[in-house]
Amino acid sequence: MRDTLVRATPLRTRQKPSRTQLISAAVTTALLLFTLFALPQLLSLYYIDTMTQVAVYSMVTLALGVLVGRVGLVSLGQVAVLAIGAWAAARLLFATTQPYPLILLEAGLITMVAGLIIGLPALRLRGLYLALITLMFAGAITVVLATVNFPNGGHGFTGYNGSLVHIPPIRRPAVAGSDPAYFRYSVVVAILMFALVYAHIKTRPGRAWAAIRQSEPAALAAGINTWLYKLWAFALASFITGVAGGVLAGAVHYLYSIDFPTQDSITLLAVTLMGGVYSMWGAVVAALLYQFLPALLNNWGVSADWLIILFGLGVLQVLTTAPAGLADQVPKDLARLGRRLRGRARPKPEPAPKPEPAETKP
Amino acid sequence: MPPWSDFEPFIVSGLALGGVYALSGVGLVVLYRATGVLYLAFGAVGALGALIAWSLVTKADAPGWAAWLAGIATAAAVTLGYGLIFGPALSRRDPLVKAVATIGLTLILYGAMDLLWTTSGGQARSLTLPTDNGGFSIGQIQVNWTQVIALAAGVVITVGTGAFLRYTKLGTAMRAMANDREITATLGVPVRKVEAAAWLGCGVLAGIAGLLLADLVALDATTLTFLVISSLAAVLIARLRSITLTFAAAILVGLLHDLLTPITSLTNYRDMTPFVIAAVGLLVLSRRQVMSQSREEA
Repeated sequence: MRDTLVRATPLRTRQKPSRTQLISAAVTTALLLFTLFALPQLLSLYYIDTMTQVAVYSMVTLALGVLVGRVGLVSLGQVAVLAIGAWAAARLLFATTQPYPLILLEAGLITMVAGLIIGLPALRLRGLYLALITLMFAGAITVVLATVNFPNGGHGFTGYNGSLVHIPPIRRPAVAGSDPAYFRYSVVVAILMFALVYAHIKTRPGRAWAAIRQSEPAALAAGINTWLYKLWAFALASFITGVAGGVLAGAVHYLYSIDFPTQDSITLLAVTLMGGVYSMWGAVVAALLYQFLPALLNNWGVSADWLIILFGLGVLQVLTTAPAGLADQVPKDLARLGRRLRGRARPKPEPAPKPEPAETKP
Repeated sequence: MPPWSDFEPFIVSGLALGGVYALSGVGLVVLYRATGVLYLAFGAVGALGALIAWSLVTKADAPGWAAWLAGIATAAAVTLGYGLIFGPALSRRDPLVKAVATIGLTLILYGAMDLLWTTSGGQARSLTLPTDNGGFSIGQIQVNWTQVIALAAGVVITVGTGAFLRYTKLGTAMRAMANDREITATLGVPVRKVEAAAWLGCGVLAGIAGLLLADLVALDATTLTFLVISSLAAVLIARLRSITLTFAAAILVGLLHDLLTPITSLTNYRDMTPFVIAAVGLLVLSRRQVMSQSREEA
């Protein structure tokens, strides 16, 4: 008997979807349709490129959110994983004429293998030590990439030729050559990745992860193969981040190792925590914070350093008062604000009745 | 393989770098043992202190010693302030949460430093200590006093901290808290005061390390802030416990890093040294890991 605890308490019950579930599904669909069809018409090229980056980084923060929020593993090396994915995709795009979706899949799988090679030894450690060893691996990978360089159309294994004068751009899929089309393409890939994570969360791995997050000894005692499921989470996160790296390669056309510094992994963890790691919306919020806000501030002529300060404050706030992040906090605060505004018009029913009900009446 | 004489100057610079890593490592370990906080903002507060010292010397014509003291005092004040506000607030949380919270402080300081001391100006800043000029030579090798001070500071701080923890009342209290905070509090030790002392000491060390690294490596907010990642290597090999082991690992990391410089095939990879040593050390040393429910994750 394995996974007895998980089987005994199924999270999913066969019921008709409730009204709120229907509404949220409808809102999500409407938002997605708006993003795919209306948004590229409304935005300038500058913001379309920015939103492509948001789509890419929403996958990266989604993967990190799975690790941190679902399983309780903190990784401080996700930008290095993204760089591996981008490198693999760029190398394959220069070397072969395979269709783009296949390349994305391969880049994801190669990154997954790399992630497993790191994860296999690293997962013997827990908590703080695991976070720090991923930081150490990220530092090492960054140094290697700075020496090996990203492929630029050269030959050999590295595909880098330092003396090339006309560097060919990394190609995009034939169906998505223009910037708006590539934006739609990235959103579709991101949706697929979100669906992949959703499928995991709603089935056995998600329940095993939830048990591990609550207490690893308890999960082990309940017969869950904690080693397998932790490694699975690591592999899934690496795969998604690798696919994101592949999308990034086509989006920017040229890749440089200086764009993937180790410290960005630290900032990435900060925005992921701020966005919220317990809901998939948090990944989107985090990506907007990480890519859209800097572009907006840049357009306004405000230094991006203010944003770094804001991220720092955000981390401290999340850790001390709002563990579920902005994706959880903002709707709650809005609801509270809404109640307060309505409360001015008519008294709201108190959740816990006070001893003197007379006071609540106007 | 280059001739031995090519390596000689790098022994000196490697030992100096190792000395600063040791100094940083000891500060990190003592604070971690006393409060459970791995202070990832160590590099950032050091950088802030160094930049303030630089501003005082170049902009306000302050005498050197006053500027350096001001820099160290700033680093200590910021660290103590953070410890007093967020130490108690997060005292019951997991060590991982406490460490990530210091990333928040790192980002705040880093953003502020980048705003106030903009790097886009073009000219590189440099902080030179008067000890750079004097020096002596052993055989063919030139040694300047800053390098001597860096290594000596590492040794003195390690030995001094060891003695402090062993023989003083405050040191004993810190060791007790490293074992069990609750029991120590029950025994009547003023836990908050001891923690504040640890934060202050760590801040002073961060300030000193910042000044030395600004001179030995570069005066640049980004470099200094994230140099803490390299210092962490020594701390990790010592598993955040032993300061003697921290010292040995720090010297090893510093020496190996600089000794790889003259080897052409490896020189580009020398910055990997701390990461590789830390990763290997952690994995080898972590074989006997026991799963426990206690807050002490190791």
